[in-house]
Amino acid sequence: MEKQVMEYASGNEMAAIAVKQIGYDVMGYYPITPSTQIAENLDVMRAKGETDLIMIPAEGEHSAAGICYGASVGGGRVFNATSANGLLYAIEQLPVQSGTRYPMVMNVVCRTVSGPLSIKGDHSDLMYMLNAGWPILFAHSVQEVYDFNIVALRLAERVRLPVVVAFDGFFTSHQKRRCMRFEEDKTVRDFIGKKTEEYPFLDFEHPITVGSYMNEPDLINNRYQLHLAMEQVREELPRLFEEYEKLSGRAYATCQGYCCEDATDLLVLLGSSFDTAMEAVDQLREKGKKVGIVTLHMLRPFPDEEICKLCSHAERIMVADRQDSYGAGGGNLSLELRAAMQKYQGRASIKSIVYGLGGKDFFVEDAISIFSMLENETTPDFAYYGVTAGTQDDKEKSEFFEPITGEKTKLGIMQVVTEENEVKVQGVNLNATTQIPKRLAPGHGACPGCGIPVNLNLLMRGIEDPVVFLFQTGCGMIVTTGYPRTSFKVPYLHNLFQNGAATLSGLAEVCYEKQRRGELPKGDIVFIMVSGDGGMDIGMGSALGTALRGHRLLIFEYDNGGYMNTGYQLSYSTPIGARSSTSHVGKAQYGKTFFHKDMPQIMAATNIPYVATVAESNPTDFIKKAAKAAEYAKHSGVAYMKALSACPLNWNDRPDTERKVIAAAVDSCYFPLYEVEQGKTRLSYDPEKNGKKIPVLEWLTMMGRTKHLAKEEYKPVVEDLQQEIDRRFMRLKEKSQHPYL
Amino acid sequence: MKSVVLPKTNQSGYYEMRLESIGGLGANLCGKMLGELGIRYLGLNSASFSSYGSEKTGTPVKGYIRYCDAEKEIRVHSPIVEPHLLCIFHEALLQDRSVLNGCCSETTVVLNTEKTAQEIVDNYFSGEKGRVQAAGVCTIPAQRIAMESHARVNVVMLGAVVAACGFGSLDAVQQICKDTLGKKYPESLEANLEGIQRGYQELQKMEFEADSSHEEIEQRDKKESQWGYETAPIGGINPHLGSSVISDLSASRQGYIPIFRPEKCINCALCDSTCPDMVFQFEKGIYKDREMMVNKGLDYYHCKGCLRCVDVCPTGALVRGIEAECEHKEHFLPNKDLLRKPDYYEKSGADGYITSESYLTLERVEGGEV
Repeated sequence: MEKQVMEYASGNEMAAIAVKQIGYDVMGYYPITPSTQIAENLDVMRAKGETDLIMIPAEGEHSAAGICYGASVGGGRVFNATSANGLLYAIEQLPVQSGTRYPMVMNVVCRTVSGPLSIKGDHSDLMYMLNAGWPILFAHSVQEVYDFNIVALRLAERVRLPVVVAFDGFFTSHQKRRCMRFEEDKTVRDFIGKKTEEYPFLDFEHPITVGSYMNEPDLINNRYQLHLAMEQVREELPRLFEEYEKLSGRAYATCQGYCCEDATDLLVLLGSSFDTAMEAVDQLREKGKKVGIVTLHMLRPFPDEEICKLCSHAERIMVADRQDSYGAGGGNLSLELRAAMQKYQGRASIKSIVYGLGGKDFFVEDAISIFSMLENETTPDFAYYGVTAGTQDDKEKSEFFEPITGEKTKLGIMQVVTEENEVKVQGVNLNATTQIPKRLAPGHGACPGCGIPVNLNLLMRGIEDPVVFLFQTGCGMIVTTGYPRTSFKVPYLHNLFQNGAATLSGLAEVCYEKQRRGELPKGDIVFIMVSGDGGMDIGMGSALGTALRGHRLLIFEYDNGGYMNTGYQLSYSTPIGARSSTSHVGKAQYGKTFFHKDMPQIMAATNIPYVATVAESNPTDFIKKAAKAAEYAKHSGVAYMKALSACPLNWNDRPDTERKVIAAAVDSCYFPLYEVEQGKTRLSYDPEKNGKKIPVLEWLTMMGRTKHLAKEEYKPVVEDLQQEIDRRFMRLKEKSQHPYL
Repeated sequence: MKSVVLPKTNQSGYYEMRLESIGGLGANLCGKMLGELGIRYLGLNSASFSSYGSEKTGTPVKGYIRYCDAEKEIRVHSPIVEPHLLCIFHEALLQDRSVLNGCCSETTVVLNTEKTAQEIVDNYFSGEKGRVQAAGVCTIPAQRIAMESHARVNVVMLGAVVAACGFGSLDAVQQICKDTLGKKYPESLEANLEGIQRGYQELQKMEFEADSSHEEIEQRDKKESQWGYETAPIGGINPHLGSSVISDLSASRQGYIPIFRPEKCINCALCDSTCPDMVFQFEKGIYKDREMMVNKGLDYYHCKGCLRCVDVCPTGALVRGIEAECEHKEHFLPNKDLLRKPDYYEKSGADGYITSESYLTLERVEGGEV
């Protein structure tokens, strides 16, 4: 056995350690809870210079999968980690990876699939992978996360298929446990061995074509090859487990049972619940009950023979699924077990339950009561465990506000007129606009001093027409709509942040059509999509498509320069050099390594009628632009507005200073205030003219996330940023002076 | 390493601890250090985790730690329901009684408070009917110790918890602090070690006979809403517009509140333009003989104490006050658009208290890693 050391670590931490020890070449990823910590931990190691893993933060999981595919075609060892809707967003790419036979390893840190959106764990995401052609290993403990990750890569390269290592989100990914790892990376690397490629892609002497167009006589043969590779796993994996046991002293099999030798009643379940159920078995055995449990360490290929062997003495079996294959009479695990038992002539009666969805806790008592359900003959073949019927909804008591309709907001405070191809707004006054009732109720859960509600309220003050909101996933959505409460007093819809703009296109068009047909009353409505800068990364394509199609709606981006809702991972709008949980500062890394995205200019390039940047430090300008944007959104096409939005939690500054911090960003020209109206650029505020321009470093040192940049060693980074800012600002100035630029 | 003997364990063989805190006090790290302490220095096996959620300041946080004998595996993943040790990071948290869930005759309660153990026992754990069962109460003025020794509150609590358990040495807990914080914050290590020592030594213990007439608090959080599968609108639709108004968010305040001095107010409404929480209640009125919108007061149910308004107020009509000194809040006006006052406000945690401009916050503001 090789020398090992003890760690006290979570599943995500052990996954990162395994990745580091294996010495992967590339990780293409996109942060999604609860898998994000794997990338975060690896980034810490990178910053410290402990690994030279190339980490590529994609703008979405679909791209992350593409990065991984490209890197593996190039002969790299490639790793990815994702969860829930991230997996589903990537899924189009995954059969490409397996069908063209490029090995890699992806960790699926299981979480429930939206919607309604929830971040907690169940297996509804993983089961979408069953038909993707990837072998799937399932680790039920923190130790197994480490061990399986090492075995998985070896397996992947052996059978030339990409492999999933799955484990429970939060229960396994976040709970810290005692576990062992090899002291030397070399031990792991020796076990994995050197990567060999049958057809090296980057061999110019022997060029190959990957990704042929294939017709019907051939495709089935390609699929059959994949099938054979999958079948090969049945032989390879036990061999690898055996070899690994010699190194580690830990023995694994494709299935694991506990007390099933003589058990008449068996419970089959997946993941961390297996351990909990063990405790229940011990307690029930003390009372003389012949009970046992079974779990699987491999879902693809399905270990039918092995699991049937473990179940062969049972008279009654309950399969507990942490997901449902709706309409099939059970989750996927129960369906597959039923099929396997048919094949191996199992004699037990099999019942199914669905439990623990959305991370609903699984206590020892739950396992005990499931066993008693199994004993009870009247228990139906299929049931949900842990649902509640609810009591009568007392609507009366929940009516706190009147809905905010057009009559309440159309107060005529502002006059909006179109003159010579320009929209002019008059009457903007901070005091007067407090009359417009707030569309958002208090009691939302944003952090103290958060800029999002501030910006939303300013936006709303410029719009007297009725509004419809669509929020893309992000802090703004999470803090306002925590079930069973909502902060909205106007119609509100959430969609995942790849797709908000498209969704709102559809919503707006059906409304306009219904108005045209007379099915809805005529009158102006402003359709508004609200997104963070994260949503404008992953959802940029959707937003651009919407802009190009020219739907009449408003896109409002609150840019706090990071994925704050999930613990501040870098976004494309994070300033260069800023520390984030995926761009740590250390001896080998100075923070984020590329410039902030210029989204307003990207949107302006789609030639939409109105683009504007706004800042709470200039509230009157903000409200005026909101009124203009609404005017364009009602009558012309897409209007886009972007506000720099404070995040005291992750900018690491004091909540009460935020307006000054925003003002400094404006004064440094990091966030210039301007509008592009009907193609014409106009600066709204020129700090240079007023003698107010400050070096960007002044702004950077106001925030903990960028304070380190004041150090001498980071001077070149700051100089680069200053140059880039000045260049962008000069270009804006030129444009504002030359209407055709 | 010599293994300590756990004084008591539950049916499954675990000694269990639960930490009750709110985001920003460092309970998460305290829990991690307790877990690691068990494994590295007490000869035990341990597991630890926190309640999971979105990453927000000021939201309630729970930490869970399980200990058992070294050779035993920890199999359960569920939250801790009946803790042997319940550590409450601030007395104000007790206003939401659910922090005492599962408190029973086996439970020792550790509380950060200036009050004596006797006072706490009298207030919560003995005397008249309806008080809570517990095996003992320990108190520690962690806030004051932290300020005096320039340590973090969470390390003072760490020292106190270990003293209250009765099976960990001061040496061991200081060692785990060195392991965890020594490299990251070498400059503050001495202060933190002193904080631990004082937490360990200044803990005031009071044990008493469990009185069975006392209430055993509900074991689990009753999170069930009235909406179940028979009554909830399909698809997760929520027709209760604006219902978040019943959340009382005063727990998010860090000890300070804005105080309104109407005589200085010029009704410029800048406060309303910077407030994230719709605290300011402007209504039609007369100011300087002119009809305009006039600031009538503040909705303190929803003020999170960010003090953005104080910063922007040009005339000093809004100033920073210490909440503890303002038991009666003047110009307190619930949201003006409410059709009716809610029957109750749901506490989203504890009431305001000073976290010493917390050390944690300072660290972050100074660009340190947390």
